[in-house]
Amino acid sequence: MIVHIDMDAFFASIEEAINPRLKGRPLIVGSRGNRMHTVVCAANYAAKALGIHSGMPTRRAYSIYSKLEFVAADQAKYIWTSEQIFELLKGFNFPLNYASIDEFQLDLSGCPEPKPVSLGKEIKAQIYANFNITASVGIAKNWLLAKLASKLNKPDGLTVIDDSNFEQVLRKANLDKLCGMGGKNGQILMAKGLKTCWDLYLNLPEFFNNNPGKFDEDPGKTNEKPKSVSHSYTLPRDQINHQVIMAWIRLLSEMVAIRLRQQDLVSATVHLWLTGPEICNFGAQKAYQVSTNDGYEICQRALKIMEKLNHKNPRIRAIGVTCSSLSLNVYQPLLSEEIRREGLIQALDRINNRFGEGVIHPAITTLTR
Amino acid sequence: MNQNSFNPKARWDRFEPDKTGFNPDSLNERIEVLANFKHARIFPKSFLWHDKEYVIETITYNWQERIGQALLNYFSVLCAGQIYQISFNNSTFRWQIDKIIQ
Repeated sequence: MIVHIDMDAFFASIEEAINPRLKGRPLIVGSRGNRMHTVVCAANYAAKALGIHSGMPTRRAYSIYSKLEFVAADQAKYIWTSEQIFELLKGFNFPLNYASIDEFQLDLSGCPEPKPVSLGKEIKAQIYANFNITASVGIAKNWLLAKLASKLNKPDGLTVIDDSNFEQVLRKANLDKLCGMGGKNGQILMAKGLKTCWDLYLNLPEFFNNNPGKFDEDPGKTNEKPKSVSHSYTLPRDQINHQVIMAWIRLLSEMVAIRLRQQDLVSATVHLWLTGPEICNFGAQKAYQVSTNDGYEICQRALKIMEKLNHKNPRIRAIGVTCSSLSLNVYQPLLSEEIRREGLIQALDRINNRFGEGVIHPAITTLTR
Repeated sequence: MNQNSFNPKARWDRFEPDKTGFNPDSLNERIEVLANFKHARIFPKSFLWHDKEYVIETITYNWQERIGQALLNYFSVLCAGQIYQISFNNSTFRWQIDKIIQ
């Protein structure tokens, strides 16, 4: 038995708790401070009722309702709240899974006398008492159904899917409510005439039954190193200035490099992708013999890839840098220049760890600010 | 605990480039604060800003952020119908008013 906890409009609810004046008014949380040049990061239920949803450009959201309340996202408070909820849930002493920043799962399968409904009510009450925000809880035999259940009675809902209501719930639930069916998979199945989750169950019962009812606790799996590390950024508007584009590639390369060094990894393959009106979606990668976790080197490799662009000076809207072919860093620098470079990187990391990430940074990245 | 499945800090990287732009709302001015430190938690009661005392009626929310080795404690507080964001840096022992929340 899985209990899935899904926070209701998480970022927007926190902003409403901070500023009670916003409660009940249509509110969007923008991913950047400039309200007309960003996307909706989260919308509260009053805004969702108007048809505004996450991922929508804010300009379009304002065209739907011009008096929208706007708050710029502040990750620190969302991360802190998420971690505090995780700590609170640890206190229930069940295997716990951190599914995403606003989703948590408890596994009751080992419990001799599970009382999932009273547990769900207790969790909701404690979250509300501590953070003044609501959560929806879904309870079912496996995580897929529990996640579906949590979505069915939002906000502040508690839904159980068991043998008695399995068919009834699945008949009522549209296919796109099911995890993994929101994108192309769902569209393909819907085009084939599958409208509800029940239609999918009749055609693919194993899709529902094969999902585990308890967590995979294989320790080897959780310690696996990542396959790739990437960072991307969508610029507020199309950018033609080559220096600024280079600055962004350098910054993203540094961000990737920091994460590689934190995990003591090096990468042999760099992938760069760019989007823009002239180039559409450009993406290319190159593998090198020497692996690296130096931001400068990753940036140089990415710029080499950029030279493959046919267009001389294209407008760029989004940039992404990915490092793959990862391995553990066992390389010992031998040349004096390499040793000096390694020492410099370690010194920079120590300064940023002491005073905060990005306190000391390559000069060119100031063009991104 | 299956904590390795998701790490919020990796996803919401603190090295977020757009955070340092000019923000007309930010004040970042030093203030004097009267606060209770109780059970490892901080409860600000009132603060003095530009020689005026603001009595805190409610702490609407509080959260923390680690910047380097410093731990910053943030509070959104309600004083006479206006909400302010104030913060305490535990390495410098500095209280400051961050912004007025509209």
